[in-house]
Amino acid sequence: MNLKMSAVVVVHGGAWAIPDDLAKASVDGVKVASCEGFSVLRRGGSALDAVEAAVRALEENTVFNAGHGAVLNADGEVELDAMIMDGRTLASGAVSSVKNIANPVSLARAVMEKTTHIMLSSRGANLFAESIGMATVPTDTLVTEYERKEWEKHNNYLTGVMQDFNSQWTHDTVGAVSVDSAGNVACATSTGGIRNKMVGRVGDSPIIGSGGYADNFSGAVSCTGHGESILKVTLARLILSHIEQGKSVAVSSQLSLQYMGERVRGAGGAIVVSPSGQWAATFTTERMAWAAVDHDVLWYGLDPNERSKEQLSQYI
Amino acid sequence: MFPVVVVHGGAGHIPKERSENSTSGVCSAARAGYTILQGGGSSMDAVVEAVTQLENNPSFNAGCGSVLNVKGEVEMDAIVMDGKTLGSGAVSAVRNIANPIQLARLVMDKTGHACLTAEGANQFARSMGVPEVPLESLITDYSRMRWKKNLAPDANPVECQMGKMGTVGAVAVDSEGNVACATSTGGMLNKMEGRVGDTPCIGCGGYADNQVGAVSTTGHGEAIMKVILARLILFHMEQGQSVEAASDLALAYMKSRVGGLGGVVTVDPQGQWAARFSSLQMAWAAAQKDILHYGLYTGEHFTQSIDDPL
Repeated sequence: MNLKMSAVVVVHGGAWAIPDDLAKASVDGVKVASCEGFSVLRRGGSALDAVEAAVRALEENTVFNAGHGAVLNADGEVELDAMIMDGRTLASGAVSSVKNIANPVSLARAVMEKTTHIMLSSRGANLFAESIGMATVPTDTLVTEYERKEWEKHNNYLTGVMQDFNSQWTHDTVGAVSVDSAGNVACATSTGGIRNKMVGRVGDSPIIGSGGYADNFSGAVSCTGHGESILKVTLARLILSHIEQGKSVAVSSQLSLQYMGERVRGAGGAIVVSPSGQWAATFTTERMAWAAVDHDVLWYGLDPNERSKEQLSQYI
Repeated sequence: MFPVVVVHGGAGHIPKERSENSTSGVCSAARAGYTILQGGGSSMDAVVEAVTQLENNPSFNAGCGSVLNVKGEVEMDAIVMDGKTLGSGAVSAVRNIANPIQLARLVMDKTGHACLTAEGANQFARSMGVPEVPLESLITDYSRMRWKKNLAPDANPVECQMGKMGTVGAVAVDSEGNVACATSTGGMLNKMEGRVGDTPCIGCGGYADNQVGAVSTTGHGEAIMKVILARLILFHMEQGQSVEAASDLALAYMKSRVGGLGGVVTVDPQGQWAARFSSLQMAWAAAQKDILHYGLYTGEHFTQSIDDPL
């Protein structure tokens, strides 16, 4: 009998009305990323290593709004946010509004491990990246043709009204959570934010307790969806507060997302893992691309109530 | 229910020669917030007014009097939150603005976003006609002296941080039962450029929810962030703990789990309030039912009529 705790990794590629022409690529992308994360766990890597690897894979995939493929702000530039958290120590690292970095999640991890701070913003974050020799990449390498066109479309279609944003805006932030064989949990979240956002807009993704949270005593969460709504209810921490009261990962996620919908009219999604290996992928948007690897089985989904599975040996 | 405003001027180890200024500063700010509540004003107006006064007061680490970052410059963070709507506004790493708390409120009231950072926050300020002030107007001799001292290779900014004024903040509940919080800071002494602490992070520097209460925090920013201190206190209150017990539990947890010290002001929609801290001192003041309450050291709780001079 295997006495080790289960090692699990769950990833999401964004909760929103993912159009059919992006559906297959999104699902493939999260499947690959979760396998990346799992192979780290298989090699004896930590939950922290696994979430970083999974999110890096998503950042490198232009179909998602993080790193490569990120959306543009009102000035036509890319500003990236990311966070990572270690459930054992509650240590965390985050960057907000950083430019020209291919893997913001790795920069966030460097903030956690190489500074006494948790969060660096903007030019300060870029200066730090330079100081540790992290390469900057030209904006053009981060922006896809598709995004440039979409941005121009939206830019001409002036919206001073930000109210009815849930359906209009893409919010395909990416994220991952994991528990390793030592029972340590971790989370990571990364995004380019909302298309045409104000310069310097910071959403939920890099904010500890909102975009993500990890605590060995309760679990790890990564959120996606309408950032301002997630912030209002500190969604990640809220989900874990339900788990602390004894509810399951699934019920905790559902209750919290429901609350967000009722109290602040916001939709979104969350992935959760508990220290004992229970996990859930839940969303109140039309779709969420997600995948999980648990006991050599790859689970994934896109539409509500979809739960497909495959044996892992196909991918490794 | 009696409306109340509770104000703090930072948790830490305040040098004796500065303690008189901190006490008079928080009392003044509490009075200003209270005047608004008495006039039927909102808890949001009350907390913003109280914090504005503290930002303008050079004795506090917010607005004028802010600590300097490692480069000798001022970068400020602030947050407001409205317990009725859960709406909030925050700015982080903003420069050359006299009142970041007012800019944070503009983010909440005039944009669809919750937080703006750095140059983006300054761009927004310009678009709102908020005047830019020279860096020099925000720097005091004291903050410059502390900065120089901390450039020494053997300096320990966290230790030294606790020897200085901390973040400022306020919570209030008004006659309609609406709660609000506001928190503002120059951050950590000699911090890295662009370092953002707990203050503008919702749930950490502050949180407000009409169904539970409002909190504003101060202390070691990174520790406060790790435990989402403001939100944690409100979770305890949701479970039935009093404002005082909830605050103490959360502060004790922060100390034991991540080794951080701090202080909080907490209020519930019924007008119960608390000013609690695990650090050596916290300058605080509260005004309710025409009584001014204040203290600095653990266990202190002075009261006097609100109209009497200090």
